[in-house]
Amino acid sequence: MVKAFHWWGGILLAFALLAASRLFLPLPFLNEVVIFSIYTMGCNFLLGRVGFISFGQPAYLAVGAYATAFYLFYFGTNPYMGILVGVLAGAVVSGIVGPLFVRLRSDYFALVNLALAVIVFYLMQKVLAGITHGDNGLWFLTNIASTPVLDLSRPNHFFIFAFLVALAVWAFYKYLDDTIYGACCLATKINEDKLKFLGYSNYNVRLLAFVIANTTTALAGAMYAVYLGFVSPEMSSPSRAADPVVVTILGGVGTLYGPIVGAFAYTGMKDVISKYIGNWELFIGFLLVFIMLAGEKGIWGTLQPRLEKLFSRNKAAAQTAENEEAKR
Amino acid sequence: MDAQLLTSGVIFGLSIGSIFFLMAIGLSLCFGLMRIISLDQMLYYSVGGYITYSLSLATGNVWLGVLGGLVVSGIAALAVERLVFRRIYERELTFSMITSFGILIGGIGVIKFFWGVVPRPVPVPIEAQISILGTDVPVYRLVVVGVAALVYIGLWLFLNRTITGKAIRAGIEDVEHVEGLGINVSRLFTITFIIAGSLSGLAGGLHAPLIMVDPTMGLEVLAFVFMVVIIGGLGSIKGTLVSAFIVGQVVSIGSLIYAPLAQMAPFAIMLLILLIKPTGLYGSALLKK
Repeated sequence: MVKAFHWWGGILLAFALLAASRLFLPLPFLNEVVIFSIYTMGCNFLLGRVGFISFGQPAYLAVGAYATAFYLFYFGTNPYMGILVGVLAGAVVSGIVGPLFVRLRSDYFALVNLALAVIVFYLMQKVLAGITHGDNGLWFLTNIASTPVLDLSRPNHFFIFAFLVALAVWAFYKYLDDTIYGACCLATKINEDKLKFLGYSNYNVRLLAFVIANTTTALAGAMYAVYLGFVSPEMSSPSRAADPVVVTILGGVGTLYGPIVGAFAYTGMKDVISKYIGNWELFIGFLLVFIMLAGEKGIWGTLQPRLEKLFSRNKAAAQTAENEEAKR
Repeated sequence: MDAQLLTSGVIFGLSIGSIFFLMAIGLSLCFGLMRIISLDQMLYYSVGGYITYSLSLATGNVWLGVLGGLVVSGIAALAVERLVFRRIYERELTFSMITSFGILIGGIGVIKFFWGVVPRPVPVPIEAQISILGTDVPVYRLVVVGVAALVYIGLWLFLNRTITGKAIRAGIEDVEHVEGLGINVSRLFTITFIIAGSLSGLAGGLHAPLIMVDPTMGLEVLAFVFMVVIIGGLGSIKGTLVSAFIVGQVVSIGSLIYAPLAQMAPFAIMLLILLIKPTGLYGSALLKK
């Protein structure tokens, strides 16, 4: 019970901080951070838990965003339905390409995913230009109907919604970590032969992880579409393929709080630095190289042991006090 | 489809396949010997293109520009190898992939800083046309194919006739044994990386007159080069040649039949081949030890 409180307490604390930052940080910035952290969580799960690096995340992001956009532009007006459609599309697409992709070695996997992102980009920009309006993108902000409880067409309501969704996704990944399936994921990353001896199928574990992670990414895409009221092929452009990977590594690969710390730091830096330097790629590229060479632990990965040390010292002190109490 | 269109389509496919081959060979060699995936080859390609642009503007001679592009991208490759890759050879494959992607993105930023974001045209060095089977074909495209063929022959001779080349081939099989024989593997890695970078730069320089140079040109060919490498199998030079030829023809003939096919068909072929043989046509099941 105490342990459970400890685990969940950390998440609640992180989100309480995020909610509190609503008071003194601008809303668009926070919306961006929350959506980006959902986006990164999928990548973080793939990279940190299953050991798959994917430069193709923008492909799944675009699938989610475009599915939502198609729904809102051509068919309906309810943004919740739109997001649902986006998530379903993400699950379907990753379910189709998953069986093909997860059989591959990790190096081929990354290459194939990046190729997929480029293909989706061309598909949206040129091949399907009749429906997607090519580079002009789809504008449907006015199509989004206001909904009763949480009105997604209003940014402040959207923030609450995005916040709750992020919390749910987070709790879900936390839950996965504690299940046997989560252990299997880690095992397939570290030693797939041993997992096979234990009677699990590497293929099934990976396929499920692939679908889960990319459905999360599609969810982030759907949220982007509803939030911006606009989608364009730019979303899946190969030059943005590194974004989720960069943020994952920036935050700390495989750590639970990594995505949100990374998303916060990345969006913050982007806002601050792009004011001074127009050349954003230069910075992000060399930042990535620097983090990799400096030990790839990322912000949270470096911070975590120190925090733990701090807390465990307090805890140890409390425990000795307790023990002495018991002796008496 | 009439024969004239087909002939020019095949020639176009051959020239574009040659460019893909020159770039993919670098990726393939780096993977085979060092077990790294060097996405920054696309950066040397862009550098080669831009140096060709600048030098041909300054001297009026495109060939000088291509040569300059080859040399400068070789130097850039040397610098990157010394500063970055030297530290990460020991790490996992994905590690090199992330790092080199960072170099690629950062390098694009540098190019934007120096040359701006506007696409620049490079003059075609040979304007003449030659008649093949009754079709007028630009001579320059044939020259590109010739250069690629020369590079393949040169590379073959280098790998089979010189001690360094033989050491590289042995290293692809087993690096530790080569090191045990007293060969300086670190120097071998540097040489291979410079060759790969220069060839990518050469590809950029040769491709520049056919397209316009712009900062993201590396990202545009990225998907095709990947497909070439994946179809051929990472680490195989023969496989790279075969698949570059296939992809070039598919892109060219495909676009004659239905324009969007140019982008989609190679991808479909790649998926098909991966379905049958997950390591590509000539790829071995080698993993990083």
